[in-house]
Amino acid sequence: MSARLFIILATSFLLASLSSCYRMRASRGGGQISPVATRNIHPDDIALPPGYSITAVATGLTFPSAVTFDDQERAYVVETGYSYGEVWELPRLLRLEPDGRTTVIAKGGKNGPWTSIVYHNGSFYVSEGGEASGGRILRISMDGKITPLLENLPSMGDHHTNALVIKDGYIYFGQGTATNAGVVGTDNAQYGWLPRKKDFHDIPCADVILAGQNYSTENVLTPAAGDQAVTGAYVPFNTPTRAGQVIKGSIPCNGSILKIPLEGGKPELVAWGLRNPFGLALSPDGKIFATENGFDDRGSRPVWGAGDVLWEIKQDQWYGWPDFSAGRPMKDLEEFRVPGKPAVKPLLQQYPGTPPRPAAVFGVHASANGLDFATGDFGFEGEAFVAEFGDMAPSVGKVLRPVGFKVVRVNVQTGVIRDFAANKGKRNGPASWQGSGGLERPISVRFDPSHRNLYIVDFGIVRMSDRGATPEVSTGVIWKISKD
Amino acid sequence: MAKVSAITGVCCILVILLSGACASRRSEIIKQKTFDPASARIANGEKVFMEKCHKCHPAGEAGLGPAISSNPAPQFVKRFQMRHGLGVMPGFKKEEISRKDLRDISKYLHAWKSY
Repeated sequence: MSARLFIILATSFLLASLSSCYRMRASRGGGQISPVATRNIHPDDIALPPGYSITAVATGLTFPSAVTFDDQERAYVVETGYSYGEVWELPRLLRLEPDGRTTVIAKGGKNGPWTSIVYHNGSFYVSEGGEASGGRILRISMDGKITPLLENLPSMGDHHTNALVIKDGYIYFGQGTATNAGVVGTDNAQYGWLPRKKDFHDIPCADVILAGQNYSTENVLTPAAGDQAVTGAYVPFNTPTRAGQVIKGSIPCNGSILKIPLEGGKPELVAWGLRNPFGLALSPDGKIFATENGFDDRGSRPVWGAGDVLWEIKQDQWYGWPDFSAGRPMKDLEEFRVPGKPAVKPLLQQYPGTPPRPAAVFGVHASANGLDFATGDFGFEGEAFVAEFGDMAPSVGKVLRPVGFKVVRVNVQTGVIRDFAANKGKRNGPASWQGSGGLERPISVRFDPSHRNLYIVDFGIVRMSDRGATPEVSTGVIWKISKD
Repeated sequence: MAKVSAITGVCCILVILLSGACASRRSEIIKQKTFDPASARIANGEKVFMEKCHKCHPAGEAGLGPAISSNPAPQFVKRFQMRHGLGVMPGFKKEEISRKDLRDISKYLHAWKSY
């Protein structure tokens, strides 16, 4: 046998062996680390394109999520006041001072996470995620007076009231789903909310007709061992459904982009069928773009191979959740079947529309979150800069190596994604995983008013295990990237 | 002769294993170089890769799936795997990735690996 033929056969055999061993391989996500004593901060550990530099402008924050700038170009940050792992602090609005200290402008109550902030015409507008008692949109004055503009959003589940933008006299915001894939299950007990909100479930934005899929699980709401629950889609835990059953839609609803007038008022539907539209931004030509966190491999209806998505948001468009991923129907497709488990079955008997093509598809479990568009002198004009929070494996599903933990830039015409800021080193991953001093979990980005500087809001260290998330307080950082 | 072949085979497998274990980062910011597709077909290959492959193999690195940038398998083996799947990796039919697009992905992967 010739040496060349031998190499080809050996390679093919090796590929086959490695692939068939996939299920045996352990998860190696970026949060799967031992506890770290402190967070080191070394900007030199971060790789950037030539001609750019990075500094840490604030450190020691607890769960920061977003940044904005006032008319004097002073920076303001919100701390969420809540993290997965059910760690509760008080949400705060802080002004960053030039020497790195912070001044508290406002404090919220125990209803975080505060997920977004925008400064507009002398006031701050904040999304209150609402894990405890429902999402809200708040207006906060320069001296810290909080006025709710909208309350009682359906946010008490897995996902919350998310990023907002202001356009044409309206506040547009994202509203995440209660569940991973439409069915309340035991994973929602692990997230923490099911025992305290036993009847909570997803609300569709329009009437939907169910296919009648039901899922049997352990009944985590009763003390008796061996108790089973049967749960369908868009209903509370332990509530079965039948084929042809109509679930009435209503506003406000889950998995949507909604809007209210700037002064407050009734929410109106913009778009729906989005699992967790976390980030929202206006492109230079005034279009609304949203990042959507894709399905996880967990719960009663786990989905595999679902990337996060960047969408252009259009009025009245349905984007496919719970039966499509990145515009592709999941019904019986091998691509979305968890290895070793049955194929994904549709929850809806009829689809409310046809999802469009995405603008871009990110890595599975990358957690593509806050975004902003480059204009002016920074470079890469017209591209979307997206913060990838990073995987939360293993509780969202297995990854072979860390995914995310960086800032990427996206050409929204071609869908091409390239790294913009990531930690140096042989392998990509958060600083705590590498043992370096660079990025940890970028959660959002924002260009300052000069458009010459990009601010990265870095949430901090979040360790992961089969039991869920363990976030570390006081490890949040605000980075500033400048063009030299 | 048989002994020489066996030793050669073991060495080949070791080289494959070792090269697979090497880091596969081809990121522009790590290499401090700009990746500029040299042809329309490479540019198209990158676009299709982003749409179909990037989610499991982000920029050719490991994620949900293994790294492919450092995979030494010949391109025709990789194209076979893309078309027919292997193990947990699904195959992509001609309706999803045309023959031309499959070859363009190959061109892109080769260019991305060696720029």
